[in-house]
Amino acid sequence: MDWLYFTAAETAALLLSIKVALWCTVISLIPGVATGWLLARKDFPGKPLLDSLVHLPLVLPPVVPGYLLLVLLGSQGIIGQWLQQQFGISLAFNWKGAVIASALMAFPLMVRAVRLAIMQIDTRLETAASTLGASKLRVFLSITLPLAAPGILTGLILAFSRSLGEFGATITFVGNIEGETRTLPLAIYTYTQVPGGDAQAMKLVVLSVLLALAALFISDALERRAARHLASSSHD
Amino acid sequence: MIEFDLDLQRGNFQLHASLSSEASVIGLFGPSGSGKSTLLSLLTGSLQPQHGRIVVDGRCLLDTARGINIPVHQRRIGMVYQEGRLFPHLNVRHNLSYGLQLLKPAQRRFKLDDIVALLELGPLLEQRPRQLSGGEQQRVALGRALLAAPQLLLLDEPMAALDDRLKAQILPFLRRIKDETGVPMLYVSHALHEILALTQHIAVMQAGRLLAHGDAYAVLGMEHVLPLTQSLGLENLLKLQLLPSPQESGCSMALCGQQQVLLPHVEAAAGSEISVVIPASSIALARQRVVGISIQNQLHGTIRAIRTHDQRALLSIDVGAELLVEITEKSRQDMGLQCGDSVYCLFKTQAIRLLGHQRKTESIHAGPAQVSASQ
Repeated sequence: MDWLYFTAAETAALLLSIKVALWCTVISLIPGVATGWLLARKDFPGKPLLDSLVHLPLVLPPVVPGYLLLVLLGSQGIIGQWLQQQFGISLAFNWKGAVIASALMAFPLMVRAVRLAIMQIDTRLETAASTLGASKLRVFLSITLPLAAPGILTGLILAFSRSLGEFGATITFVGNIEGETRTLPLAIYTYTQVPGGDAQAMKLVVLSVLLALAALFISDALERRAARHLASSSHD
Repeated sequence: MIEFDLDLQRGNFQLHASLSSEASVIGLFGPSGSGKSTLLSLLTGSLQPQHGRIVVDGRCLLDTARGINIPVHQRRIGMVYQEGRLFPHLNVRHNLSYGLQLLKPAQRRFKLDDIVALLELGPLLEQRPRQLSGGEQQRVALGRALLAAPQLLLLDEPMAALDDRLKAQILPFLRRIKDETGVPMLYVSHALHEILALTQHIAVMQAGRLLAHGDAYAVLGMEHVLPLTQSLGLENLLKLQLLPSPQESGCSMALCGQQQVLLPHVEAAAGSEISVVIPASSIALARQRVVGISIQNQLHGTIRAIRTHDQRALLSIDVGAELLVEITEKSRQDMGLQCGDSVYCLFKTQAIRLLGHQRKTESIHAGPAQVSASQ
């Protein structure tokens, strides 16, 4: 077997994994920051419930959120039917559904990173900004967000990595369709189920390891840069 | 012109404060925990009172009875904190212009370059807050607050975190702001000499109440304020005129009224005005000039007022400036000291603390003596 030659199916799995992970990161950003901020800063009646709900995917077997997604967002699901009728959007058994599944699984990691970062910000800096004439929104955009940036970055990298490794929820919700929902972990799983597919599986395993290492390397470099930036500017 | 009447109940802490003053700079003095910072939070709007009214320069910022409550960012009340609170992710230039760039051109009152010049911030503009010393950070914080064009500037113990040397560096800038910008200020401190270095108009706060306000000397002499200032320790703040220093002594000479004072060496040109602090309890009194004693400073003066409280006597003595002296009531009775008596005030050179100096030659006379208390 040629280690440098990729079949169309293998290439598709690799590119799909990256596409799904990138989209997962993109759509997690705003809800993740908003939820992290809400949990870090606000007290409201349903807060413990929201906190628990956000963290559920972290503790449930991934197949459970996947099944719930299928029930709710699938073509027969309440939300799924509504989306189909109102916007013509279908999430069932396509790559968009895979994005939703991995975003749901990655969400707690994103929220935790953002919440921690926001909790560490000195709120007195925000008070100072408001006495200088900044509205609440401006304080958030010009003080809170930049100071939380390293934590938000960490959250995004965690979401990206989690998405690359997503298996259970994805296969339950959107199945294992080549070129559509068969990401690297699903492709590896498929090859291990076929007689004589071990070598191909191993090839993808090596590829996964390289991809994970690359992601870790990039995240490490970014975090170092953020930490350096913070160290050179933090107020003592 | 500032006017407020505020009521706040938070847990066991109760604050009731009302004030109406035309003074351009008011010093708010009181022990730690008396509610000074809480009062400032109420004024800026970051804390809401149960009942209250705030009017600054005829503009009503809060009136709970009429349902008026201008939000923090629209109150135009500037704030300088003890710990600077510079934005760590912005350099000095962007910290300074943070409030300025939020103002409409018509609302702007100062130009960035003018404030940079006033506070001598030029060399610091590209630096990050972390790279600055405590005193430099406070100067940037002052500039940042001024550039936001406040109608009232609140200073919450802005020098409390600084040592005497850094205080001496900041003080001239505070005086400059007072003299050159005309922005009304409320200066909060538990160290009275800081307040008196800026203003004679003080308000005294204790246990959530404003006890009194008005001229410092009158307020501090009030029956119900005296116990407070005595427990905090009274200090005199004197403005002296530096004389050419004798070469060999290692000390400096200065003029207090027409009398000479020997003080620890001051690194400043002759003719400079210097501010020094002398604790009232470090001064001894004698009927005649004492010979054969190591104490160099013996200022001659006349007793102007005597107040006694709790076996302690507080004497106000005119030595060409007003000097406050604290002795025991027993000593006073033994010496038979009365108003109008002529006395010598004795204090050691080492009892004098230098607070700051300013190049100033136009005024020959020392400023009026001021009473001061510190922690």
